[in-house]
Amino acid sequence: MSDSNSTVRWTLNGTEVENEAGMTIMEAAKVHGVDIPQFCYHPGLSIAGNCRICMVESNRSPKPVISCSERIAEGLEIKTQSEVAVDARNSVMEFQLINHPLDCPVCDKAGECVLQDHSYEHGPDRSRFVEDKNIRHTKELGPTIDIWGNRCIVCTRCVRFCDEISGTGELCVVERGDRSVVDVFPGVPIDNSLAGNTVDICPVGALISSDFKYEARVWNMDKTSSVCGGCSRGCNVEVETLDGFVKRLTPRENLDVNDWWMCDHGRYGWRHLYADSRLESAQHDGQAVSPTGTSGALHQLLSSSSSTAFLVDPYMTCEELHLVRSIANSLGGSTIAGWLPAAGTEETFPGGFKISADKHPNRKGAEHVLGSDLFTASADQLKSALSNGSIDTLVAFVGGDGFEGAGGEWNDLISKAGKRIVFATQQGSWCDGADLVVPATAPLEKEGVWVNEDDRAQRTRSCRSLTSNHFPSELVVLQELQVHMDLRNRPLSAAGIFRELSETSDAFSGHSHSGLGDSGSPLSQRPAAMSSEGGHS
Amino acid sequence: MTVTETLAFSDEAMKKYEWLLSRYPTRKAALLPTLRIAESEFGELGVPQMKYVADLMEIPPATVFGVVTFYTHYRRAGVGKYHLQVCSTLSCALRGSGDVVSRVTERLGIGVGETSECGLFTLSKVECLGSCDTAPVIQCNDDYHEGLSLEDVDALIEQLRQEAGKGGA
Ligand code: SF4
Ligand code: SF4
Ligand code: FES
Ligand code: FES
Repeated sequence: MSDSNSTVRWTLNGTEVENEAGMTIMEAAKVHGVDIPQFCYHPGLSIAGNCRICMVESNRSPKPVISCSERIAEGLEIKTQSEVAVDARNSVMEFQLINHPLDCPVCDKAGECVLQDHSYEHGPDRSRFVEDKNIRHTKELGPTIDIWGNRCIVCTRCVRFCDEISGTGELCVVERGDRSVVDVFPGVPIDNSLAGNTVDICPVGALISSDFKYEARVWNMDKTSSVCGGCSRGCNVEVETLDGFVKRLTPRENLDVNDWWMCDHGRYGWRHLYADSRLESAQHDGQAVSPTGTSGALHQLLSSSSSTAFLVDPYMTCEELHLVRSIANSLGGSTIAGWLPAAGTEETFPGGFKISADKHPNRKGAEHVLGSDLFTASADQLKSALSNGSIDTLVAFVGGDGFEGAGGEWNDLISKAGKRIVFATQQGSWCDGADLVVPATAPLEKEGVWVNEDDRAQRTRSCRSLTSNHFPSELVVLQELQVHMDLRNRPLSAAGIFRELSETSDAFSGHSHSGLGDSGSPLSQRPAAMSSEGGHS
Repeated sequence: MTVTETLAFSDEAMKKYEWLLSRYPTRKAALLPTLRIAESEFGELGVPQMKYVADLMEIPPATVFGVVTFYTHYRRAGVGKYHLQVCSTLSCALRGSGDVVSRVTERLGIGVGETSECGLFTLSKVECLGSCDTAPVIQCNDDYHEGLSLEDVDALIEQLRQEAGKGGA
C-alpha cells in the first residue's frame, strides 16, 4: 500500500514513481517530464477522450488506454514508448489524416499546429488512403471566426469552451462519422466576448481568426510577454509582432489571473497603436522638437513655473509614477492628481472569467505610489484649482488608447492651465494650444509594473521597436529631465527605477522585476530573500 | 408541414413533454424524445422547429442542431413525404441492399440523399435497422418493409404513390 492515502505508487516506463491520488496518467506523467501527446484534452476544459492520440500501454488492460482520462492507481504500470503505445499513436495519426487536406502551406495555423507537430513526431510518413477525401464546409461562423471544415478533427474543444467557459453554447458538431464538423445554428453566429479563445485552443487550423487571417506566418513573429491594459484584470498576454508591428495578441497562461483566456476587447484592442492620429514627435509651440531635445524643453518650461500641477493617468507604470513623484517633490509646492477613464460594463462567465468594468490597468499601483486619494479628493482639488485659474503650469498625461483624451470634463479643464505640457498618445483637443506636446507610450508599449484590481503586481513589457516608432518613452524623458534637474546622474532601466521605488515605498518593498518574473505576484506576498538586480539601462 | 410563426406544441403534446421531463434526470436528457414529439407535431425538424424545441427546453439551439443532424432517424426539413431509408449494413448488404438502392434510384431518378422532384420521396442509406433476420430492409417513415425482393421494391413505390393520390407522378 502507499505511504499515505493521498499518494499512489505506480510505474512509468519502468521506473517506480509517486503521485497524488486522483491524477490522470497524463497529468502525473508530465510531473515526471514525460509529455504525452493530446488533441482533445485541454487543462481548462472537461475531459472528452475522443481523439485517442494519448493512448498508452497499461498492465491493467489488454488494449491501450487513454491517458487523459484514466487515473493512476497503486501498482499501475504504464508504458508510453512501447511498441503497443507507439503503434497506437501511429495508427491514430494515420486515421486523423485520412480526410485532412494537408494544406499547411496556405493554413494560418501552420507552425503552431498540434496536428502538424504530432504527425511529424508520431505519424507514418505516408498514407495508405487511396479513396477520395471528403469535403466539409468553409464559412464564417461569426463576425470574428471562420471555419475551414476540412481541417477540423472534431476534438470538440471549441464546443466545450462555448458550453463551459463562455457559457454561450453557440457551437455544435453537426452530422456524424467522417462528415462531422463544427457549425453554428443557422442564424445564431458565434458572437461572445471570449470567442477568440476558440481559435487559440483549436489544435488545428479549422477555426481561424478573421482578424489575423493571412497576416503572418507564425514562426516569423517575435513574442513579448506582456499584460493587457484593456481593463483592471490585467490578463497576461503574448504580443506578437512582425517587423515591429503588432499582428495579434494571445493569452498567456496565468492561473491566478486569466487562466488560459483573454477577452476579445483586449485581443483586438491594439489598433490604436497605429491610428492616424497617433502622436509621433514632440512639439514646442507648434514646432517639432527632436527626440533628444524633449527633456530640455520640458526643463525650461518647468524651471520658469511658479506653481506646477501633475495630472497622471492609470495607464502609467509604477516606475513612471515614481519618477513623477520625485520630480514633483523637488519642484516644491506642486500637486498631483489622477484621472480615470469611464467605466464599462462588467461581464462574468460561468467558467470564472471576468471582464472588469474598471478600465484602468494601474489604478491600484498609482494609489500605492501617489496616495489613495489620487483619483478622488486630489482630483477634486485639482479640478477646482484649474477652474479658478490658480495653476500656472500643468503637466498632463493623457495615455491609454487616447481617443477620448482624459474624458470630456478633464479635457476642458486641461486647457484652463496657464502653461501646458501634455504627454499624449493621440492628437486631439487636449493637445491644442499646449506649450509642449510629448508623444506618450500606449499600453503594450510600456516597460514596467502595473498593479491590477486584486493588488497583484505584474510586469508589462514593451513591444515597441525602432520600425514602429522612434520617440523616447516617458521612462526615458522623465529621467533625462531628472538629469537636467540634477536629481540623477544617468537614466536607469525600468528594473532600476522599480528598485528605487521598492526601497522608498512600503507597498512595494521586497519586490523586484526579476522576482515578479513572467507571472507577477500579489503585493502582499513578499519574497523571502531580497533579490539584487542591476539598474543598468 | 405547417411552418408558422406561432409554432407551438398542442396541449396534448405539452402534457406529454412535461411527463417526459419527470422521467429524465435533467431537462437536456429529455431532448431525444422531445424531438420525437416535435417531429409528430410539426411534421419535420427544420430551423424554426429546432429553435422552438431549444427555447422550450432552455438549451442552446446549436445543441439541438447537433443532435438532430447526428441521428439519421429524425425527419429533417426538405425530406420528402416518404423517407426511404435503405439499410446498408452487413446482413442487408449480403442480401442485396446494394441492388435495392439501385432499384429505387432507377425507379425514382434520385440518388442517395436526394429528394424526388414531386417531393414525395427521399432516399437515404442508413446503418443497421436491427432487423437483420429479415434483410434486406427499407424503413419508410415509421414502417419497416422486410425481406424485400426487387419486385417488392417496385410494389412499395407504387403503393406509396397511390397512397399519396398522385398515381402518375
Ligand atoms: S474546430 Fe478545431 S477545436 Fe473545434 S472541434 Fe474542430 S478541430 Fe476541434
Ligand atoms: S478581461 Fe480586461 S485585461 Fe483581460 S483581456 Fe479583457 S480587457 Fe484585457
Ligand atoms: S487527448 Fe486523450 S483522447 Fe484526446
Ligand atoms: S444489417 Fe440491415 S437490419 Fe441489420
